[in-house]
Order: sequence, then structure tokens, then C-alpha cells
Amino acid sequence: MANPRALDRRRKAVRNIRKITRTMELIATARFKKAMDRASAATAYTRRITELVAKLANAGLEVSHPLLEQREEIKSAQVLVLAGNRGFCGGFNGNVNRLALNRIGELREEIPAVRVDVSGKRAITGLTSREVELAETYTHFEDKPTFAEVELIATRYLEAYQTGELDRLDVVYTRFDSIARQTPMVETLLPLGSLDAAGEGEADADHNLDYEFLPSAESILEEVVPTSFKVRLFKCFLDSAVSEQVARMIAMKGATENADGLIKSLSMAYNRARQSRITSEILEVIGGVEALKQ
Amino acid sequence: MAEQSQTERSGSGALQCVVVTPETTLLDETASFVAVPLFDGELGIAPGHTPMLGRLGYGQLRIRQDAGEQAFYVDGGFVEVVNNSISVLTNRAVPASDLDVEVAEEQLAAARARTANSPELLDIRAKLELQARAQLRIAKKHEA
Repeated sequence: MANPRALDRRRKAVRNIRKITRTMELIATARFKKAMDRASAATAYTRRITELVAKLANAGLEVSHPLLEQREEIKSAQVLVLAGNRGFCGGFNGNVNRLALNRIGELREEIPAVRVDVSGKRAITGLTSREVELAETYTHFEDKPTFAEVELIATRYLEAYQTGELDRLDVVYTRFDSIARQTPMVETLLPLGSLDAAGEGEADADHNLDYEFLPSAESILEEVVPTSFKVRLFKCFLDSAVSEQVARMIAMKGATENADGLIKSLSMAYNRARQSRITSEILEVIGGVEALKQ
Repeated sequence: MAEQSQTERSGSGALQCVVVTPETTLLDETASFVAVPLFDGELGIAPGHTPMLGRLGYGQLRIRQDAGEQAFYVDGGFVEVVNNSISVLTNRAVPASDLDVEVAEEQLAAARARTANSPELLDIRAKLELQARAQLRIAKKHEA
């Protein structure tokens, strides 16, 4: 027979845990909303840059730039891993770590020098425990990465790429597709490959206007390419931040629901134990009375 | 074309000026005159300007409105003018009065201390110096 007091104590403990997970869920929801707002504010800039590229392409400009071209010989590569500083978010950090390890392994086989930069405590501990040497670590990116901070990193990569110290940059992060879907993925940001959606929306009337380019379309392109790299890196950081909050929200929601179920079954077991104890006590009393009568 | 769009789009001949940074849309207001810091110097834009795409340098963005004039420091980027609307895309835009002389001076010193022993590094240094000098200039102007 289960001890009702022990059951009650367990139920209390689960209730306390439920309170905590519920609060964490609410916090994650609030943070997610904020992070989401920031991410959508950032799309205004991305959209305009894309339009700009489309206009340049419409002006009959060949879109080419050193940052867009694949180098023939890749001597050194860089992997940037973006994960969270905190746990309690389901598979968010684990997925990124696993993907990063795979990619680092693949690159090490082909390329002599692979440097690994990491943002997020969870990825730092996760990767060091697997004996990956980390060149640079960042822990100051929370749920609100600012462009100025990201730009510092972006500029460093750009400089390294321009001076030939770096031939390839892969970013491992969690892309935010929708609230229900976040995919951990690897994106090669240097060389940039192509500028997204160049030539998209050509039907727009504005695009047929004759623009005056100051100083020249080429010169503008030269500036657009690094900017678009920075913005893409920034977007990776933002996506990662949003995904982390979503993952935490969902994990905590699951935990709260789990606790609810546990409380229910514990209550049931407690009530049953309590009832059976009462019944057995009554039976004992009745048994005693019956014995006295005789 | 210019006159046409002016009369079509707005009878008052006002400009719609939008400043966008990667983080946020900083400003979306009407103005009567806007001066943008192009890569080689300032360019004034009045209503009815021809469609234009320009590359910005480091410098001061001035927006004249009925209520007065606003000034921002912009950190490179692009400007697009079409149909009396001006879009400024920049990495960073700071109200000129928020700039700090000391910070700018430090940045200039740091830029000058960089070693530049290859053409690429020289380019990078020159860019950083320009950026710091522009900030310093604007900060000093708006100090009072």
C-alpha cells in the first residue's frame, strides 16, 4: 500500500515544478514576441537591399564581385556555430552541435586549416567536450543581437577574406521557418554564391524607371555585396535567437502539460490510498466492535 | 519626368524620407529638403528630383522640415530617390547630437594605429579613418 503522505509530498513537488515551467513558458513567449518583432523589423532592410540588387541587375549590370566567386583552392575555412547560452529548450542546442560536429569533420578531411568560432555557452561546452578546438567564443549574444555587435564579427571575416586568410565561411545555425518549424542548417556565407533573388519582382513598374547611378552601378554593386553579407549574417543571428525562444516555449509547454498529467495521476493514486486507508481503519473498528459484542 | 512625378505624387511638393537600418526603420517622415552625404560629397535633394541610386559615404544626413532641421550621422550605405520618396539604407544612423567627440577620437587613433602593409589592409585602414573623421567632424559641430 502506497503511503498517502509520500504521494502528497510528490504531488506538491510536481506542482512546484509546474509553476516554474509555466513561468518559463510565459517568459519565453514574451521574449519570442520581442525577438520576432526585431526580426521582422530587419526584413524591411533586407527587402530594400534585394530590390536594389534587382534594380542594378535591371540596369544591365553583370553581377560579379570577388565575394561572390568560388575560390579555386580552399586553404582555410571558418565555421561559425550559433547556439544558445541556456538550456531548457529541447533539441535546439543539441541539433546545432551535432550538425556543427559533422560539418567540422567533413571540412577537416578536405581543408588543412579549419577554424571554429562559437557563440553560445551550450555550444562552447558541447564542442569542447568533443575535443574541438575553438578559436573565438562569444557569450554576449542573448535574445537581442544588435547589428553593431554582429557587424564587428562580419567585418573581421570580410577582412580575412579580402586579405586571403580565409577562403570559406560556413555558419551553423537554426533557421526560423515558422513557429512550428525551425531547421538547424549550415549555410555557406563566404563566398556568397549569389545575391538572393536578383531580378525578382521585375514586373514592378518602378523598376522600369531610368535611374541615375552615382557614381556608377559598378561602384554601388561593390558596396552592396559586403552589405548583403553583413545583413545575411545578422539574419542568421536573429533567426537563431528567435528559434531558441520558440524551442524553449515549446519545451516548457510540453513540460507543463506533462506536470499536469503527473499531478492528475498522483492525485488519483493519493485519493485511492487515502480512501483505502480509511476503509481499512473502519473495518478494524467494526471488527473490534463485533469482537466485543461476542 | 521630374516635373510630372512631382505634380502627380504630391501637390505640395513634399518629400517622403525613410531611413532604414538593419535593425529598424528609424525615420519615416515628410521633409521639404534633404541633404545626403554621398561618397564624394553632399548632395541636396529637393522635391522633383530625378530617379537616382547613390552610394553614401560617412557623413551627415540633414532633413529639413517645417518644424526645423534634423541631423543624423550615417555610416555608409545607399540612397534611392524615386517619385519624391527618398530611402536611405545605412548600417548605422545616429542622431548627430548623440555622437561623442571622445569616442570618435579614440576610434580615429585606433584606426591610425593599424598596420597596413598590403594594398588591402591599406584600403581597410583608409576606410576606418574616413569613418572616424566624419564622426569627429559632426560630433564637434553638434557639441554645443
